[in-house]
Amino acid sequence: MPDLTDTKTEIPAQRAAEVPEAKPEKARSLGLDAWHDLRRRPIFVISALLIVLLIVIAIAPGLFTSVDPRAGDLRTHFLTKPNYGHLFQPDWFGYDGQGRSIYARVIYGARASVVVGICVTAGVTVLGGITGMIAGYFGGWVDTIVSRVTDIFFGIPLLLGALVVLNAFTSRTIWSVVFALVALGWTQMTRVMRGSVITVKQADYVTAAKALGAGTTRIMVKHILPNAIAPVIVVATIALGGYIATEATLSFLGIGLQDPTISWGIDINSAQKVIRTAPFALFFPAGMLSITVLAFIMLGDAVRDALDPKLR
Amino acid sequence: MRGASQAKWVVAAVAVALAATACGSNGASSGGGSSTGAVNAQGTFSYQSSEPQNPLQPANAMEVGGGRIIKQLFKGLVDYDPADGKLRNQVAEKIETTDATNYTVTLKSGWTFHDGTPVTASSFVDAWNWSANTKNNQINSDWFSDIAGYTDVHPDAGDPKAETMSGLKVVDDTHFTIQLTGPVSYFQYKLGYTAFSPLPKAFFTDPAKYGQNPIGNGPYKFVSWEHNKAITVAAYDKYAGLDKPKNGGIVFKNYTQPEAAYKDLVSDNVDVLDQVDPSDLASYKTDLGSRAVDQAQGAIQNISFAMYQDAWKPVDKAKVRQGLSMAIDRDTITKTVLNGSRQPANSWVAPGAMGYKDNTCGDACKYDPAKAKQLITEGGGVPDNKITIVYNSDGGHKEWVDAVCNSIRQATGVECVGDPKPDFKTSRDIIKKKQVQSMMRTGWVQDYPLNANFLRDVYGTGAAANDGSYSNPEFDKLAAEADKATTVEKTAELYQQAEAQLAKDMPAIPLWYYKTTSGYSNNVQNVKFDSFGDPVFTQVEVKQK
Repeated sequence: MPDLTDTKTEIPAQRAAEVPEAKPEKARSLGLDAWHDLRRRPIFVISALLIVLLIVIAIAPGLFTSVDPRAGDLRTHFLTKPNYGHLFQPDWFGYDGQGRSIYARVIYGARASVVVGICVTAGVTVLGGITGMIAGYFGGWVDTIVSRVTDIFFGIPLLLGALVVLNAFTSRTIWSVVFALVALGWTQMTRVMRGSVITVKQADYVTAAKALGAGTTRIMVKHILPNAIAPVIVVATIALGGYIATEATLSFLGIGLQDPTISWGIDINSAQKVIRTAPFALFFPAGMLSITVLAFIMLGDAVRDALDPKLR
Repeated sequence: MRGASQAKWVVAAVAVALAATACGSNGASSGGGSSTGAVNAQGTFSYQSSEPQNPLQPANAMEVGGGRIIKQLFKGLVDYDPADGKLRNQVAEKIETTDATNYTVTLKSGWTFHDGTPVTASSFVDAWNWSANTKNNQINSDWFSDIAGYTDVHPDAGDPKAETMSGLKVVDDTHFTIQLTGPVSYFQYKLGYTAFSPLPKAFFTDPAKYGQNPIGNGPYKFVSWEHNKAITVAAYDKYAGLDKPKNGGIVFKNYTQPEAAYKDLVSDNVDVLDQVDPSDLASYKTDLGSRAVDQAQGAIQNISFAMYQDAWKPVDKAKVRQGLSMAIDRDTITKTVLNGSRQPANSWVAPGAMGYKDNTCGDACKYDPAKAKQLITEGGGVPDNKITIVYNSDGGHKEWVDAVCNSIRQATGVECVGDPKPDFKTSRDIIKKKQVQSMMRTGWVQDYPLNANFLRDVYGTGAAANDGSYSNPEFDKLAAEADKATTVEKTAELYQQAEAQLAKDMPAIPLWYYKTTSGYSNNVQNVKFDSFGDPVFTQVEVKQK
């Protein structure tokens, strides 16, 4: 009984903390506030766990399988069917048309996707953040130039542009794909950042900082950036899943990653040729890709709700 | 979603059922006699082809895309009977020689070009002189190198000293003589190759324009060329040859994806297939029933070394090359990845060609990982311990290139990756410009069914198809001796000795021989394939609709 009363009394107390009277308590930053909100959402918890798992797989694939994903034995394992009982064994998901373990390839394929996703997102956020900040803060002719350049890049379809850029590379690695996607994807971030900076720039505290004689850099970094970054983070998190999907698409088309890099896109491409005889060869890499993209998009959704409820 | 995908499966099942019944009725009718089906003699059919690399000039097509079209548009002095590969006279009435060096050619009368002008002795002589001339930059110009005076019109470097070859003389409209630099016992065999086709007067006014709109003397005349889409030819009604077309014409449809061509065949959107793509090999016989084709072919698949790269030049690298050859498990790859559509090779000449000798490659073509490793170590290892295999990704080669690479890597620890180029033309251009780093896919489809064609024309110093720039004086000497022999039999025998030199040097690794694995649609019948792997186009009958 005393327990019950305890919980009952706790709820109003907590609510009270959120309404205006919270002032006397320690003020929460935007990030802390978002975190508080996020950790109570199942969608965030699930996607975060998935992503943590994916990152662990990407960093240390050897923990999950002891088989070399490039080693194939055609004599014994040509398109061998999966053995679903053998959890985490090489034959769990069967073998592909080169006699390689599909399970091992699915595990090792995570690295390319995660690295491309994170690096492209980091790249576009930094590049787009800086250009957007400059355009939004200075305005005038600086804004005009940056905006027009952005418009030009924005006019190039991401996939088509990436096809053209990647065709110029004779041998393509993860970094050439990252380069192509960053070069074509930063404009979206610039636009978001610019809009956000323009709004924040008019806030009273910026005027106050100016009146107190703060320098341009200080105002940008200390006052505008923390308050303008939220929408960028939201858009970036959602876009991350999209970049992973784009990498797989490019690899599928044969213009993204190349052997010996292991990528789900490449495996999906080679599996489509044996789809009639060995559908499992297509199913597992495609399934992993879907789960990964879904996890990042769900995470992005949750982060958006927490950081910027207006965008909902 | 679920409902939709189930509906799709139902449609697929119906299609399979329909195809199965179609096969059944087809089989029944052909059993009663293949000529019973009503045939539309004017009917046209389509064929899976690829974009020609060069303008359509007879001496400028070495790849199949252009070569097989040229073959239909032109007819030379002789050709090969599609049934048994024997030489037969076409434009030639007779070709006479006593010493294998001097030939007198007599032409039949009544042959005309598609523009109505007659085919005369000078149609041949002028054509050959033009094609051999170094200024005209014809890819097959070295086919004329046997003829006396070739070095005058095609010196190794610099401008030609003469416009005509001294070995060719027009006697009158129906006679001309050929003098060779020395005896070439199988010269008549070579004359069946498209490079020796006659050319009309119209050609010489603007050869480049002509290459887009060729006028030949063959069973089919040129109609149109939509680049990267299709080339259309129509039966030539005044054709004077033995093989008059039994149909109205052919559309050579361009496919960059062999899988797409196969799907089109199954749905009767293309009538005759070039090759079934690897991914459909497992099921094509069940899909097509009696319309499936599986027969031997005079063609070989190799991977060649870029011998022009300094790293591959040292003599002891021959051991490394042999080691790499021994690291390839041909038997397993042909059985699994290639679904039995190829026959493992142990020689550089395809079976069926005159002078073919089994197992000239010996142990070097047998899978033996331990020996492979040992040979590679003895030879000082693979340069950079890495090889890349350049190939064209539009020909269904990815699967086996990957399998070969896996086999090499697992047997020897040498890193190996495929280097796909988007289409055949791109990959050929890279190979022609000698930009390959270590290895490249090279295939060879015979021009004439004799071992000399698989050897001299591919591995002779400076030969047009010598993509790896292999050069060995010993091989060249043996080849020259073989060419001087007075009988074809002797030539074939001497070329076998030259082939033994290849086994020592291993400039190219023989992988497997081709089989023609193809099929045709419900719209056509009497589709047969020759040893070149080409359908006998003139024999194809289009069914009455």
